[in-house]
Amino acid sequence: MYRLWHARLMRLEDVWLRYRRGGPWVLRSVTIGIGPGEAAVVLGRNGAGKSTLLQLVAGILPPARGRVVDRPAVVGWVPERFPADQPFTVQGYLTAVARVRGLSPAQADRAVRGWLDRLGLGPFQGVRLAQLSKGTAQKVGLAQALLRPPGLLVLDEPWEGLDAAARELVPEVVGEVLADGGSVLVSDHRGETARLPGAREWTVADQTVTERAPTGGEALVVVELAIPATQVADAVHRLRAEGHHILRVRGHDVPLPVTGPVSGAAAEAAS
Amino acid sequence: MIALVRFRLVGFLRTGRALAPVLAGLLTLGILYGGGRAEPAEAYGVSAVVLFPVLAWQTKILLDVEPDVQRRLALVAVGPARERAAGLLAAATAGLGLVVVALAVPWLVGGVATPTGPEDRSIAAGLALGLWAHLLALPAAVALGALASRVITRTAGYGVAVLALGVVLALVLGLAGPALGWLAPPLLPTARALAGSLSVTTAALLTGWALLWAWMALAGYLQARHRRA
Repeated sequence: MYRLWHARLMRLEDVWLRYRRGGPWVLRSVTIGIGPGEAAVVLGRNGAGKSTLLQLVAGILPPARGRVVDRPAVVGWVPERFPADQPFTVQGYLTAVARVRGLSPAQADRAVRGWLDRLGLGPFQGVRLAQLSKGTAQKVGLAQALLRPPGLLVLDEPWEGLDAAARELVPEVVGEVLADGGSVLVSDHRGETARLPGAREWTVADQTVTERAPTGGEALVVVELAIPATQVADAVHRLRAEGHHILRVRGHDVPLPVTGPVSGAAAEAAS
Repeated sequence: MIALVRFRLVGFLRTGRALAPVLAGLLTLGILYGGGRAEPAEAYGVSAVVLFPVLAWQTKILLDVEPDVQRRLALVAVGPARERAAGLLAAATAGLGLVVVALAVPWLVGGVATPTGPEDRSIAAGLALGLWAHLLALPAAVALGALASRVITRTAGYGVAVLALGVVLALVLGLAGPALGWLAPPLLPTARALAGSLSVTTAALLTGWALLWAWMALAGYLQARHRRA
């Protein structure tokens, strides 16, 4: 909790963006912020500039005017389409990315193994990227952004091409990044947003971004609870089931329980 | 950043596209040394000139093999400065490989004349001067290849045009004499200097000129990259 309160709010201050000098403005005078533990959904018609806004926030596109301040050090970006046209296997690619991200060989192996298992990519670890189905390639795209726990996770249409069971993984992963004090930005045009309760809504239209308060419209209150260590898993599951947003679990080596892929699939089937 | 350099080199070498510039290089060197034996330093001076377009082309291929989205992912992972530096370093490393091949080729095809008189340069001196001539051409070639890469030129036609125009200008301006010659990297002047007796002053001047040219071209590349992710 201490870290949460002291982490900074990332802000876009009067940001303007265009692709070339003298070209049309894609974004004008955007002023917006996102804090630790906060999620925002970016909405807008096709071509409105959602991907542009996401790439601006992720640090790929520099603003022509204005500035972006206090961007977290570790950013994960999940592109709309993962570039599968590369001569690597799934495991080879992810290990190389982990090394590029500055992990030691041992750390890289551990992180890659963890995410391969988590996303159900185990059977594909030796498969070349070019031979993957679109959905599986998209999972590799998700994994590469998470190899180092991101302080800012930017997801461009993460539900595209994912099957029912895999679609449940996105809100799970988002929940974990938020619980760890990270910020998450998601673009969506399919109405999957309902899976992210409590997210702010940013609408991109007419070259600018307008924000709506978190869905539900009520102010949020942070409640601190003390729970016997043995009952944590149960309590977190119960609170989540009731629609509450778990920010963080702290204590003596108590990991934040996560829903496994099996129960995720069950929830999908039930809904 | 070293991990990203390695990642890009592996990506380049695994696609068959690494083969094309190497074959082109071997072909031109084969033609160059097919004509008979020459004193090492003099032969290497010409070798560096003919290798310049090959090195620039190889740089463009290496940078273009990586999909645009993957380049952006690398940028998110290490930041813009290191992403750019890693691409240039990977290209320079691949170029060094080609330079080593170019230095070895004349010995394999019997294209060098061993020193006969006391006034001839020793083999070691010839090799050292040859390495120097190739190392002068390499940064300029990497810079030209980077300026012709897809991230800057966007379309294939424009990319080839920049590469071809750069190579032609580098050679033509080199022939044009001192007035316009300064606009090109010192490829032909270096070759000419190696054919005669090379003074320390000339060598220092040529080195400075080559580095300055490469530095300007690289600054242009980095400036152009500012708006091109």
